[in-house]
Amino acid sequence: MAKKAQVGRVNSKKVDTCKQATSLILDHLTGELDSKTARLFEEHLMICPDCVAFLNSYKETIKFTRSLSYEDIPSEMKKRIRRFLRDNIG
Amino acid sequence: MISRSHKRQSKSLSGKGQLSGEDERLLIQRVKAGDQKAFEAIFNHYVSRVYRQAFKFVGNEADAEDVVQEVFLLVYRKANSFLGKSEFSTWLYRLTANAALTKLRQRKKEKEVSLDEYMPKFRKDGHHLVRPVVDWTQDIYKHVAMKEFHQIIQQAMDQLSPMDKAVVVMSDMEEMSNPEISNNLGITVQAVKARLHRARLFLRGRLTNHLGYSPT
Ligand SMILES: [Zn+2]
Repeated sequence: MAKKAQVGRVNSKKVDTCKQATSLILDHLTGELDSKTARLFEEHLMICPDCVAFLNSYKETIKFTRSLSYEDIPSEMKKRIRRFLRDNIG
Repeated sequence: MISRSHKRQSKSLSGKGQLSGEDERLLIQRVKAGDQKAFEAIFNHYVSRVYRQAFKFVGNEADAEDVVQEVFLLVYRKANSFLGKSEFSTWLYRLTANAALTKLRQRKKEKEVSLDEYMPKFRKDGHHLVRPVVDWTQDIYKHVAMKEFHQIIQQAMDQLSPMDKAVVVMSDMEEMSNPEISNNLGITVQAVKARLHRARLFLRGRLTNHLGYSPT
């Protein structure tokens, strides 16, 4: 049975250059490359330390963004907003 | 900055006061009927979450406070437009993202930063322009404090357009899928991907540049 194509799946692409490889990183990371392109992408990485380095730093950047974090809401602010809402609704 | 404690916070919240889907539906019904007690229960349950979500977009307490106020006013006034087709938390997140985007768009434009400057560049034959590409992930932690990286990322995030920033926040901070982001922002999955990739390349370029290497 033919499977319905997944949303956003990209069609088979060439991976002859670093420029092409770089443009596929996002789909590589979400596992959305078709199997042929995925294989070509892996093959490019095997012969290209530049793209390996680039991919590593791209992934590291996502990790940094993910690890940004923030304080919880200050309790004074919560009280202020509660007051504001009481005054402005109803 | 606290990275772990807010997870703990949400766990303890769910421990003592998690609302079931049914409770939530009932509360919303009561809010629709103008019940202030029900509205207060919704507020108490969600205010911390909405604040953190808002903060990720706007990056400072004062603006996050404005967004939270706006969002809960809308919850009260627009409860009737919540039809229950999606989860309440999804509806609430969209209100938050919209209010935060409006806030970001109202900001006076600072000097435009050219994203291009931090994009990878390639030779005519398609190879990286500057070689070798340095893999700074290998010894990064030895030289630079995490806090410094976070500052660079935060500054760079603030230089993104509101829409690009929203895509990064939803993808890389809230860990939403591209189709979810597409639904939240009303743009195509392709547009989400294009913006996300470019924004990540920019953030990466800023980090790489900060470490003294060429972004290419
Ligand atoms: Zn390459």
